Amino acid sequence: METLDLARLQFAVTSGAHFLFVALTLGLATVLAVTQTRATLTRSDTHLRMTRFWGRLYVINYAMGILTGLVMEFQLGMAWSGLTHFAGNVFGASLAMETLVAFFIESTFLGLWIFGWDRLNRWAHLGVIWVVTITAYASAYWVLVANGFLQNPVGAEVVDGTLRLTDAAAVLTNPDALLAFAHILSGALVTAGFFLAGVSAYHLRRGTAEQEFFRRSLRIGVFTTLPALLVNAAFGGVQFPSLQPMKTAVFGGREAEISRLQAEMVATHGPGDYIPPTAPTQISAMIMLGVFTVLLLVSALSVLLASFRRMVLGSRAWHLLLIAMIPLPFVSMIAGWVFREVGRQPWMVEGLLRTEDALSDLSPGTMVLSLIAFITLSVLLVAVNTWILARSARQGPEAPATGPAPAEPAPVLAF
Amino acid sequence: MEIALLAFFAVGYFVLAGADLGVGMLLPYLGRTPEERGRVLGSITPFFLTNEVWLVTAVGVLIGAFPVLEGEMFSGLYLPFAALLLGWVARDAGIWLRGRVDRAAWRAWCEGAVVAGSWLAVLSWGLILVGMGDGFTVGFGALVAAPLGAVLFAAHGLALAGLRLDGAPLERARRFAGPAAGRTVYALTSGGMALVCLLAGARLPLAEHLADPATLALLTPSMLLLTPLLVASQVWLWWLFGRVQVRQ
Repeated sequence: METLDLARLQFAVTSGAHFLFVALTLGLATVLAVTQTRATLTRSDTHLRMTRFWGRLYVINYAMGILTGLVMEFQLGMAWSGLTHFAGNVFGASLAMETLVAFFIESTFLGLWIFGWDRLNRWAHLGVIWVVTITAYASAYWVLVANGFLQNPVGAEVVDGTLRLTDAAAVLTNPDALLAFAHILSGALVTAGFFLAGVSAYHLRRGTAEQEFFRRSLRIGVFTTLPALLVNAAFGGVQFPSLQPMKTAVFGGREAEISRLQAEMVATHGPGDYIPPTAPTQISAMIMLGVFTVLLLVSALSVLLASFRRMVLGSRAWHLLLIAMIPLPFVSMIAGWVFREVGRQPWMVEGLLRTEDALSDLSPGTMVLSLIAFITLSVLLVAVNTWILARSARQGPEAPATGPAPAEPAPVLAF
Repeated sequence: MEIALLAFFAVGYFVLAGADLGVGMLLPYLGRTPEERGRVLGSITPFFLTNEVWLVTAVGVLIGAFPVLEGEMFSGLYLPFAALLLGWVARDAGIWLRGRVDRAAWRAWCEGAVVAGSWLAVLSWGLILVGMGDGFTVGFGALVAAPLGAVLFAAHGLALAGLRLDGAPLERARRFAGPAAGRTVYALTSGGMALVCLLAGARLPLAEHLADPATLALLTPSMLLLTPLLVASQVWLWWLFGRVQVRQ
C-alpha cells in the first residue's frame, strides 16, 4: 500500500474507534441528565440509583472516547497538514471553537460530576450534568461544522491557493453540518436507547432482584428508540437530495449519470478519476439502511410489548432479542460514516482539495510504524472498553440504601 | 493576542499536567505497595483529565489561529508526536482503568502503563520542545535535552507529591527537597516548567503564521471572551477537590 492508503486507513480506524464511543456517550449523557432531573425533582431513590449505575457505564465509555479523540486532534495536523495549509482559515477555527466552547468545559464539568456527588448540593450537581450534556452537543456541532465544510465548502473563497473566510454565518449554518448534527444526535439516542434496553433485558432475564430498577430502565430505553429512530430517518432522508451528486449516483448505481459527472469533473478539474470506490460506498449505505430497518421493526414491537408489565418482566424471548440488538446501532452508525466519507472521495474538500494533496510529506516507513501503533491502540481501547463495560453492566447497581441515610459519608471519593 | 492565548494555555498545561506526568514517572518510587501506589495515583485522579485539556485547548488555539504552522510542526515532528500520543493514552488508560478490576495482576498492568506512558510522554516532550526551534527536526540537541527535561518533570512531580500526599509516600517525596519545602518548591518547579515552555515557544515563527484576518476577527474575540469562563470552571474544581483523595 502507498503512504496515502496507510494514512487513510490510520485515520479511518482512529476516527471509527472514536465514533463508537461518541455514539454511546452523546446518547447516554442525554438519558442521564433527564433521569437525574427526575431524581432531583421527585427525590425518587430508584432514579437516583439509575443515574449512578448508568452514570458509571457512561464514565467508563467517556474516558476511553476522550483518548481516541485526543489522537484524532493531533493526527489531523500530523498526517494531513495539506488540509490545514489549504483550509486552515475555516477548518481550523471550528476545531479551535470545539476545544474552547465544548471540550474544555465538558471535561472540567465531567470531573465535577464524577467526584462531586458528595461535595455539591443536589441542584448544583444536577446543573453540572446538564452542562456536560449541552457541551457534548456543542462539541458534536463544532466537529460537524468542520466536517460539513469539507463536504460542502460554503462561506469561503480561494485566494492565492488557500481558503479565506467570507461568510461565517454560511459556515455555521451549512446544511451539511446542521442536518448531519441532527442525524447523529438522534442516532446516538438510538444507540443509548438500545443499550439501556439490552442491558436491562439481560438483568430481567436472569431474574434480578432489581425488578423495579430494570423495568423502568428498559422502558426508558425502548421508549427512547422509536422517536429517535424516526427523527434519525427524517434527517437522514432530507440529506439525500443535497448529497454530492457523484455520491448519490454511485449509491444508486446509475452508470450514465456517473459517466456524465466524471466527464464534467474532468472538464472542470483536469484529468483524473473522480468516482469514489463503488463497492464500499454502496455496501456501507445498504448496511446502514438494512440495520435501520431491523432496529425500527424491533423498536416498534418493543414499544407495544413494553406497555405490558408482565411482558417487561417475563418475556424471555423478547429479552434475548433486545440483548442481541445492543451492537446493531453501532454497526449502523459506522456504516453511515463510511458512506459519508468514502462516498466523497477523491476529495478532501469537495471540489477544491484532493485527499492525496492533503497528505503530509511522510515516508512510508514512518507511516507503517505509526499505523501499527495506532491500530493496536484503537483495537485495545475498544476491546478493553467493551470488556469493562460488559463487566460493569453485568454487576448491576449497588445495593439500595437500607436506612434513611448512609451511616457515614464516604471517606474518599470513588469513581 | 493570539500568541498570548496560546502561551497561556500551553503554560497552563505544562504547570498543571506536567506535575501529573512527573508523579506517574515516579510511581514505583513514591509507592512501594499496591495500596500506596493507589494513594499516589488517587492524589492526581480528580485533576489529570481537567489538567490535560489545557493542552487540547492550546492545540485548538494553534489550529485556529496558526493553522499552517500547526500542520508543519505536527507533520515535521511526526514521530515524537506519535510517541507522545501513545504514552499519553497509555498513561490515561492506566489511571482510568486501574480501579475497575479488583485483581493484583490487573493493577500491576495498569501501573505499568502509567509509568511507561508517563516516561514516553515526557521524553517525547523533550524532543518536541527542542525540535520546535530546530526547523521541526530532531537533532543532537533534542536528544540531549530530552533526559534533562525528564529531570524537570520528575522534580515538578515530586513537588506536587510533597503537597498532596501523606505518610511514607510523602516522606519519599520530601527526601529530595527537605522537610519544610512544600509550596516554595512547587512554585519553583512550576516556574521552571513555565520558563521551558515559553523559551521553546519563543523559537516558533508565530507572528508570521497568523491565520487570515477575516478568521481572527471572529475567532480571537470569542476565545478571549471564553477564557475567563474556562478558568473559572477549573478554579471551582480545585476549590472543591483541593483537599480530597480518590480511592484507586
